[in-house]
Amino acid sequence: MFDWVHGVPILSLICFLPMAGALLVIFALRDPATIRRFAFGVALLDFLLSVPLWFAFEREGPLFQFKEGLDWIPSIGVRYELGIDGIALLLVLLTTLLGCLAFLSSWSAIHEREKEYYAFLLLLQTGMLGVFCALDFFLFYVFWEVMLVPMYFLIGIWGGPRRLYASIKFFLYTLVGSVLMLLGLLALYFWNAQGLFGWDGAGNPLSFSIEQFHRAGPAMPAELQIWIFLALFVGFAIKVPMFPFHTWLPDAHVEAPTAGSVILAGVLLKMGTYGFVRFSLPILPEATRRLVPWMIGLSIVAILYGALCAMAQRDMKKLVAYSSVSHLGFVTLGIFALNGPGLSGGVLQMINHGLSTGALFLLVGVLYERRHTRQIADFGGLSAVMPRYATIFLIVTLASIGVPALNGFVGEFTILIGAFSKSWAWAIAATLGIVLGAAYMLWMFQRVFFGPVVHEENRRLKDLSGRELAYLLPIVALCFWIGLYPKPFFRILEKPVAYLVERVAPETAGSAVAAPVAAAPSGERR
Amino acid sequence: MPLPPVLSLREIALIGPELLLAAAGLLLLVAGAIGKGLPRREARLLAGTSLVLAAGLSFVVRSAVPAGGSLRIFGGGLAVDGYGFFWRLLALASVALVVLLSGREIEAIAARASEYFALLLIATSAMMLMVSALDLLTLWIALETMALSSYILAGIFTRQRRSNEAAIKYFVLGALSSAILLYGISLLYGATGTLALEELAERLPAALAQGSRIAPLGGLLVAAGLFFKIAAAPFHFWVPDVYVGAPTPVTAFLASASKLASFAVLGRIFLLGFGCTRLEWQPVVAGVAALSMIWGNVGALTQTNVKRLLAYSSIAHAGYLLIGVLAFSEAGLWAAMFYAAAYAFMTIGAFSVVALLGRDDYAGQTCADFAGLSRRRPYLAASMLVFLVGLTGIPPTGGFFGKVFLFAAAVEAGWTWVAVVGVLTSAVSLYFYFRIVVSMYFERGTSEEQIPPAPPERALHLGVGLCAVVTLVLGIYPGPLIEWVERSLLTLR
Repeated sequence: MFDWVHGVPILSLICFLPMAGALLVIFALRDPATIRRFAFGVALLDFLLSVPLWFAFEREGPLFQFKEGLDWIPSIGVRYELGIDGIALLLVLLTTLLGCLAFLSSWSAIHEREKEYYAFLLLLQTGMLGVFCALDFFLFYVFWEVMLVPMYFLIGIWGGPRRLYASIKFFLYTLVGSVLMLLGLLALYFWNAQGLFGWDGAGNPLSFSIEQFHRAGPAMPAELQIWIFLALFVGFAIKVPMFPFHTWLPDAHVEAPTAGSVILAGVLLKMGTYGFVRFSLPILPEATRRLVPWMIGLSIVAILYGALCAMAQRDMKKLVAYSSVSHLGFVTLGIFALNGPGLSGGVLQMINHGLSTGALFLLVGVLYERRHTRQIADFGGLSAVMPRYATIFLIVTLASIGVPALNGFVGEFTILIGAFSKSWAWAIAATLGIVLGAAYMLWMFQRVFFGPVVHEENRRLKDLSGRELAYLLPIVALCFWIGLYPKPFFRILEKPVAYLVERVAPETAGSAVAAPVAAAPSGERR
Repeated sequence: MPLPPVLSLREIALIGPELLLAAAGLLLLVAGAIGKGLPRREARLLAGTSLVLAAGLSFVVRSAVPAGGSLRIFGGGLAVDGYGFFWRLLALASVALVVLLSGREIEAIAARASEYFALLLIATSAMMLMVSALDLLTLWIALETMALSSYILAGIFTRQRRSNEAAIKYFVLGALSSAILLYGISLLYGATGTLALEELAERLPAALAQGSRIAPLGGLLVAAGLFFKIAAAPFHFWVPDVYVGAPTPVTAFLASASKLASFAVLGRIFLLGFGCTRLEWQPVVAGVAALSMIWGNVGALTQTNVKRLLAYSSIAHAGYLLIGVLAFSEAGLWAAMFYAAAYAFMTIGAFSVVALLGRDDYAGQTCADFAGLSRRRPYLAASMLVFLVGLTGIPPTGGFFGKVFLFAAAVEAGWTWVAVVGVLTSAVSLYFYFRIVVSMYFERGTSEEQIPPAPPERALHLGVGLCAVVTLVLGIYPGPLIEWVERSLLTLR
C-alpha cells in the first residue's frame, strides 16, 4: 500500500513542502484567515506525507533508507544527500506531528503580523526536518543554522515582554555552539581525506558524507577524536541543553509564543541529542568512551539541578522549561550509558519528552490565552471550572512524571535499566530525579487545579474548545500508545541502536539487541 | 629588463577596457566643464554604459589568452591572466552597483555630477590596472591613481563639513600610507635590484640568506601600506570617520571596489612576490587578521550609526579576507576570492539600503531610522535582512560559504587559532548586525505620515534587489562561482 514512497523523493518532498508553503504565504496570500488555514493545511499535508514512512520503512532493511542524493558543490565534495534510519524516522514523525498541532494552536493566539508568523513557522519546519534527514554533515550544518533565523523571529516578534533579550540570547548561544561545531566538522573533513596537524588521514576522497565518516572515524587517533568530540559537544550540548549551557532555555521558553515553545521543547532540543547519536557516538567512539564519566556527571547534575529549579518556579512555563532540562538529562544519561537499553530508552525518551512537554506548553498556552497570566498563584480550583482541561492536564502530568501505562515510564525505566547495568550509583541519582519530578509536577497540579477558586475571574473560564481538543487528544492518544504497547517503537529502534552499540561498545553488543524489546514488560528480571 | 622597441598595437588593444574607461572619464570631465555641465541622469547613463562595455571588452581580452594561461604585456609590467580577470570583473560589477546607487544623494551636487562619475571611472580604470600589475612601480602608480580619485570622491560634497573632514583625514593618512608603501618598494629594490614581482620572488631568498636587513624591512613597509588600503587593524583608524563622512555611494565604493582591488594586489604581492618567505610573514598576517576581526567586531558593538557600524564591520571583513592569504594555499586563495565576491554584493546592498533611507543629508543612518521598516517597506527590510545575515555568515547566503571556505583553509593550513578567533568573532558580530534587524522587525517606527514619502528611485531598488538575489544565489548554489575562481588562481610558489 505504501510502496509508492520508494519511487518518489519522499524525504525531499517532506523537507521542502513547508518551505514552498512559506513562499506562497509570503508572495501570494493576503487574507489572514486564508493564511491560517493554508499554513495548517500545508503542515497537515506534510504530516500525512510522513506517515507512510512508518509503514514503508523496512525494519530489517539497511540502516539508512529512502536515500536520495545529488551533487551540490562537487569541488569540495558537498552532496545533497538525504536518508533516515529508525531514530531519524521517529524524529521526523514527531516534527511533522508537533508542527501540525503548533499551527492549530496558533489560530487564536496570534493576531498580528500573521503572514510573517506562519511563513517563519513553515520555514522553521523545513530547517528542522532537514536536520533529521541530512546524510551529509555539511548539509546538516546548513539546516542546523538556517533554522536559527525563523526561531529568532518567532521569539523576538511574537514573544513576551522580555523577548528582545531572550531572542538574541537564544541566537547568540546557539550560534557560538554551532560555529565551534563547524570547526570540529572541518577537522573531521580534512582528517578523513588527507590528514591534519601531522596526523595521517584516512585517505578517502574529500567528502562530508556521514556514512563515510562512520566508516572512517573509529580509526582516528584518540587525541584528535577528543578534540573533535569537544568541538561538536559544545554545539550539541548548548542545543540540548546540558548543564551548564542551559541558561538560554528558560528565557527563550518563557518569552516564546506557545507554538514557539512547543517546537523549541518538542523538536529543537532533540537536535542536540540527535547530534550525539548521529555523530559523536559512531564517529568518535574512543573519545566517547573516555569522556563518558564527564557526560554522565553532567547529565546527573542536569537531572537534579533542573528538577530543583523547576520546584522553585512560580511561572508555569518556566517550571516546564526547567523540567525540560531535567528530562533531557535523562536522555543524555541513557545515550551515554552506551548500551542497548540506555540508547533505545534515550531515543524513545526524546519522543516522549517531545510529546508530553509539547502538550504541557500547549496546555499552559490555553490558560494563558484565557487569563493572560501564567503565575501558578493566579489559579486554583480549576478542576471544577474546566474539567476536561484538568483531565488532560493530569494525564500529561502523569506522563511527564513517568507513571506506568504512560509513555514517560517506558522511556525512563529503560534508561534506568541501561544506567543501572553500568553503575548502580548513576541509577540511584537518576531515580532521585524522578522523585523530584513527581514532586514539582504534582505540586503544580495541586496548586492550579485543587482547592477553592480564589480568583473571581477564574470562575468564568471556558473549558477546552473543539479545536483545542483536536490538538491535544492526538498527543494523549500517543502517550497511551507508547505507554501500553511500546514494542513497535523499540522494534524500529532495534537496528540503529544495535549498530551504535556495536560501534561504541562492542563488548556489550551481543546482549544489546534483544534487551530493549524485552525491557519494558519484563524489566524487573534483569 | 629590455623594453620592447615600440609598443605594439596588440598590447594597447589588450588594455582596451582600461583605456575605454579612462576615455569615458575624460569625456565626462570635459562635458561637465562646458556650459551648465552634464545632468546627473545623462552622466550616470554614460558611466553605466562604459562600465558594461568595459566588462564586455574584458571578456574579449580574456579570450585572447588560453584558459589557465597568462600573457605578459608591456615588458612584463602587466599580466593578462585569470586572477586579474576575476578581480577586474568584480571591480566592474561593484562600481556598476555604486553607479546604480548614486541617486538622489548625488543630485545634491548636480553641477559636479559628471565630475563624480568621471572620478569613479578613472578609479575603476586604475583598479583594473592594479589587479593586473606584475611590477611594483606600475602597481604603485595604479594604486595612487585610484587613491587620489577616492580622496576627491570622499570630499565631493564641498559644502559639508563632515565630507570635508573625511576627505582631509583620508588624504593625509592615505598619502602617508602611500609614502610608506613607496619607501618599502624602494628598499626592496635596493635589496634585490628588481621591481618585477616574479624576479623579486627569485631573488628575495638569496637576499635574506645573505643577511639583508633592508629586504625584510622593505617587505614590512609594503605590507603596512597595503594593510592601510584594505583597512585592516591596526591601520584602520581612518575608516570609521571617512566612511561616515563620505557620501553613502562613495562609502560603498570604498568598502567594496577599492578595498577588494587593494586586497587583490596584496594577494599577488604576498603569494607571488613574497611566497618563498612565507614563514617570515605568516605570523604578521595572522596577527593582523586576528586583530582586525577582533577590533572590527568588538568596535562595532557599541555603534548606533549604521554607516559607522558598517565601517567597523568592513575592518573585520578585511581580517576574514586575510585568512585566505595567511593559509598560503590554493584553497585559501579561492576561498578569499569567493568571499570577496559575496562580500561586495552584501556590503554594497547594505549601503544601498542606507542610501535609500536617507532623506536629507544624514538621516537614515542611525539604527532608530530603521525602526518599523518591515511594515513600511517589507521587501526593502527583507533585503537588508539578507545582507545582514550574509555579513554574519549564516546560511543560506554567500557570506556563509565564504566564511566556511576561509575557516576550512585556515584549519587545513594549521592556523586553527586564527579560525577559532574567526568563528567566535563571527558570533559576536551577530549582536550588532541584528540590532538593525531588531529595529526593522521588532520595533514600531514613527508612523508613515510623519515621514515624507521618498521620491521613487528605481535604480536604487534595482541595485538592492540585484545584490539580495546574488547574495542568496551564492548561498544556495555556489558551485559555478567556485569553479570560476578555481580556474582563476595564481600559481603559488
